Amino acid sequence: MENKERKIVDSVDALKKVIARVREAQRKFSTYSQEQVDEIFKAAATAANQARIPLAKMAVEETGMGVVEDKVIKNHYAAEYVYNTYKNVRTCGVLEEDKAYGIKKIAEPVGVIAAVIPTTNPTSTAIFKTLIALKTRNAVIISPHPRAKKCTIAAAKIVLDAAVAAGAPEGIIDWIDVPNIELTNLLMKEADIILATGGPGMVKAAYSSGKPAIGVGPGNTPAVIDESADVVLAVNSIIHSKTFDNGMICASEQSVIVHKNVYDAVKAEFAARGCYFLKEDEIEKVRKTIFVNGALNAQIVGQPAYKIAELAGVKVPVGTKILIGEVDSTDPSEEFAHEKLSPVLAMYKAEDIHDAFEKAERLVANGGYGHTAAIYLDVTTEQAKIDEFASRLKTCRILVNTPSSQGAIGDIYNFKLAPSLTLGCGSWGGNSVSENVGVKHLLNIKTVVERRENMLWFRAPEKIYIKKGCLPVALNELKYVMGKKRAFIVTDSFLYHNGYTKPITDRLDELGIEHTTFFDVLPDPTLSCAKAGAEQMRAFQPDTIIAFGGGSAMDAAKIMWVMYEHPEVDFMDMAMRFMDIRKRVYTFPKMGEKAYFVAIPTSAGTGSEVTPFAVITDEKSGVKYPLADYELLPDMAIIDVDFHMSAPKGLTAAAGIDALTHALEAYVSLMATDFTDGLAKQALQMIFKYLPRAYDNGQTDVEAREKMANAATIAGMAFANAFLGVCHSMAHKLGAFYHLPHGIANALMIEEVIRFNASEAPAKMGTFPQYGYPHALRRYAEIAEALNLGGENDHEKLENLIKAINDLKARVGIKSSIKEYGINEKEFLERLDEMVEQAFDDQCTGTNPRYPLMSEIRQMYLNAYYGKKHFVDEEKPNEADIAGTEDENKVKKAYLRARVGAKRA
Amino acid sequence: MNADRIIAVRNNKTVYRDGERVLKVFDETYSKADVLNEALNQARVEETGLNIPRILEVTVIDGNWTIVSQYIKGKTLARLMEENPDRKDEYLNLFVDLQLEMHSKVCPGLNKLKDKLSHKINETDLPATVRYDLQTRLEAMPKHNKVCHGDFNPSNIVITEDGTPYILDWAHATQGNASADAARTYLLFWLNGDIDGANKYLELFCAKSNTEKEYVQKWMPIVAASQLAKGNAKEREFLCSWINVVDYE
Repeated sequence: MENKERKIVDSVDALKKVIARVREAQRKFSTYSQEQVDEIFKAAATAANQARIPLAKMAVEETGMGVVEDKVIKNHYAAEYVYNTYKNVRTCGVLEEDKAYGIKKIAEPVGVIAAVIPTTNPTSTAIFKTLIALKTRNAVIISPHPRAKKCTIAAAKIVLDAAVAAGAPEGIIDWIDVPNIELTNLLMKEADIILATGGPGMVKAAYSSGKPAIGVGPGNTPAVIDESADVVLAVNSIIHSKTFDNGMICASEQSVIVHKNVYDAVKAEFAARGCYFLKEDEIEKVRKTIFVNGALNAQIVGQPAYKIAELAGVKVPVGTKILIGEVDSTDPSEEFAHEKLSPVLAMYKAEDIHDAFEKAERLVANGGYGHTAAIYLDVTTEQAKIDEFASRLKTCRILVNTPSSQGAIGDIYNFKLAPSLTLGCGSWGGNSVSENVGVKHLLNIKTVVERRENMLWFRAPEKIYIKKGCLPVALNELKYVMGKKRAFIVTDSFLYHNGYTKPITDRLDELGIEHTTFFDVLPDPTLSCAKAGAEQMRAFQPDTIIAFGGGSAMDAAKIMWVMYEHPEVDFMDMAMRFMDIRKRVYTFPKMGEKAYFVAIPTSAGTGSEVTPFAVITDEKSGVKYPLADYELLPDMAIIDVDFHMSAPKGLTAAAGIDALTHALEAYVSLMATDFTDGLAKQALQMIFKYLPRAYDNGQTDVEAREKMANAATIAGMAFANAFLGVCHSMAHKLGAFYHLPHGIANALMIEEVIRFNASEAPAKMGTFPQYGYPHALRRYAEIAEALNLGGENDHEKLENLIKAINDLKARVGIKSSIKEYGINEKEFLERLDEMVEQAFDDQCTGTNPRYPLMSEIRQMYLNAYYGKKHFVDEEKPNEADIAGTEDENKVKKAYLRARVGAKRA
Repeated sequence: MNADRIIAVRNNKTVYRDGERVLKVFDETYSKADVLNEALNQARVEETGLNIPRILEVTVIDGNWTIVSQYIKGKTLARLMEENPDRKDEYLNLFVDLQLEMHSKVCPGLNKLKDKLSHKINETDLPATVRYDLQTRLEAMPKHNKVCHGDFNPSNIVITEDGTPYILDWAHATQGNASADAARTYLLFWLNGDIDGANKYLELFCAKSNTEKEYVQKWMPIVAASQLAKGNAKEREFLCSWINVVDYE
């Protein structure tokens, strides 16, 4: 089907017109369905296949190179194998979709491909490139080599006509009729992508055109014959490959490196199969003939062996298959060590396999980087040699027992290697692709991703014993259900010396569980304390660890547990900050394989009995290691109010306020869930109701004590899963810098943090998919509602909540500023910046609903220090700023709504 | 004009000495633009600080465009090599050093070597296929901006009595890739029949400039083609053997 309007492309103007026309055709083509495309692909492949012999004849006639019968194979291969491999491959529209994850990949064509076709494979490469372009809904404009333009254009035309007859847009394939460098450069500059096969000059030009280019490089394939090789198979494979199309395939063997033990056998086999070994003077003659100034003589490319010999003045029989030069040097100055594009082969003798590998590496360096290398050996016994060869050679194809010409192009000697006439050589060859080029390189893949929320879970100890007097029952279980025999108790010296551990040890004695007690835990437990405890554990070999006391004892016991079970761990690694506990770099060791962990709190605050956290201080460096991982979660918690009754007032107040901030921060955390919300609110209701009573009559009010004990554990479960926020970040550092009790430090910061978080237009909000917009104000209002604090709108509710908290703090004797705790102003200001940076970097900061700037943390610290003013945001645009706009009323309403904290739609 | 004597007669120009001055008189067939370009080249290169004869005047004498420049008294390196064959290595050494010194200069106003070579390739009567391959090869070569002489050979170097070397004849100067300039020098040795000198020169150039020999060799088909454009029939067969090579595929 002749396109009558088509004018010859021989000038810049003509080419520009063609590019515009082809682009238009491609635009149409890009709307085709997979079914339409597949039909076109099939018709085009069929037509190319049918024309394989005339095209092969044309190619040899026009270029004067190669062998007709071999070119027939190449054309046949380009049509049939490429079609077969890609016929069922999806290249249009949705390629894959995962609804659960909300991700979809969509294939789009690239556009107009500039296809540069070499003289060595002028028809088969044209068939290959046009077919894969059609399969991917791309258009192609071919720049043929002037030496092979007729046959290349003929091949393109056959594919075009068949494609158009099958429904492809007119002119979807076009070409330059009179190629010259100016037109080729223009085409490469104007195309959307360049598919460049040919000499390195052309490939370099493609890469410097400024357009994405898939260029491929030259080869200098070495073939190693190991002593374990099947010599007959090896030699005949090489002959088969090297003589193919008179050696013009870029993957063709250029040298054979033979293990000395089989050298004579290899030589005899080559000789017996019609190859000619050049004599010393003949080698020199051939050398000077095939190379001129280090470049390959054009006259010998693709010529039969006898002709090349003749040119060199060497007489060999006409039927000679290959001219073999036995040479020693692999240096670039040795002509035989280069690509020869003809049936001329270098042969090297290797002392051993390592020598062979070295030679192969050097030959690849002589212009064959990234292409192909081959090895012949016994695959059943010599896998290690394959591995070494593969790891050493900088080539993108490593062929084993395979003729490289036919092997590298794929799907003939191995059926998983993609069939291709364009072989990528990777960065070693200066290419963008290291594979055999195929349809995937001609597609733009769009990825459509829907917003998804983070998976979350709820984790808690497998058992939490509650109610006054539950301890003995719980300990019974250790014996009768779990069959535990040796318990290691970790506590502090006060509790130990005052007999608080006695109920536990007595019960263990009754049960016949051996036990020992480590009672040297001090507040802010140190690494050396944990090491000492772990040492004792290793000696005692417990199957149960019982942590008894406040946060310090429980944290120390957790660390001892880690050191006991995994003495090899590094605390720096374990303490590495993470953005998402499920994606952290460090994999925490598996815990619980040696000992079952039981936590019995004696104060109502820390929640450590149900949390995956522990803090340990390196007493030498002063560095605190906050560890967090669900592996650190206790197996059993025992909340028995009997152990809480004697806590002093100060501790009761500080611990109670600590629990309060746990619940508050967990409720507004980025990671808060329905599961943690209920726990947080319940804990807050209980703390507001019972903390004053527990504070006033702690020694006798069992109900208040029990409610507080439960509230602290419930708050612990909330923040064990929702995590905390910037109040704890700042309290951690404030406590560490000035030895303030943790609960007090939190109490001093909480108002600032609530006001900071409640901003409806924060400088930066926290990053978490489920946190859609700043809404901590509403969350605080929800707490106020749960506490029945009243208020007309969210702002009022917020103020009521803050007042209630401040009242409670005052009620239990907590002062209202850092300064009042006797911290020196000068020192505070001097160390402030350091404290700010550390607080910013605290693990708790990441889940705060508002992402804090360091300047903001600084301001909050200063406010809390003086206790005179509170956090306010930088000024934001308000209704005054939009006065005079047409929409004034509507916009004003929006500002108004924001100011009163009206709930969003 | 008070020309003492004719120093040299070329195809379409005659060089006279006039005391301390040299007059290069071009005949009518010579393009005015080429004369002015040559003078401009030389003036520009003067500014790089290289030792070259200074342009004194560009004028028309009896209807012929003439470049007047400083006369450098001394012997050419070619003559010195001939007179003292035993010192040839020493002279070659000096020759290469001089060329490298020149390559170390930049001179932004000069024409681009690549443009010149491309133009020369198109001027040849080589088959389109061969020109296409040469253009592709040229296109892929790195483009630099070093001062290139274009005819750097021992007869264009004059050594004065105190041993100061001067580089003459800037008609072909361009800016571009030094290895192309070296490939051209190598070719000039060949054309002069001094194959041994050519090889020694190339070895020296590569060693001193830390250049791979293959890299200089890549330019040889291109410089051979540009020489072919001069149309010297005697050189044709030889040059074609250098040109008719292929890029690896």
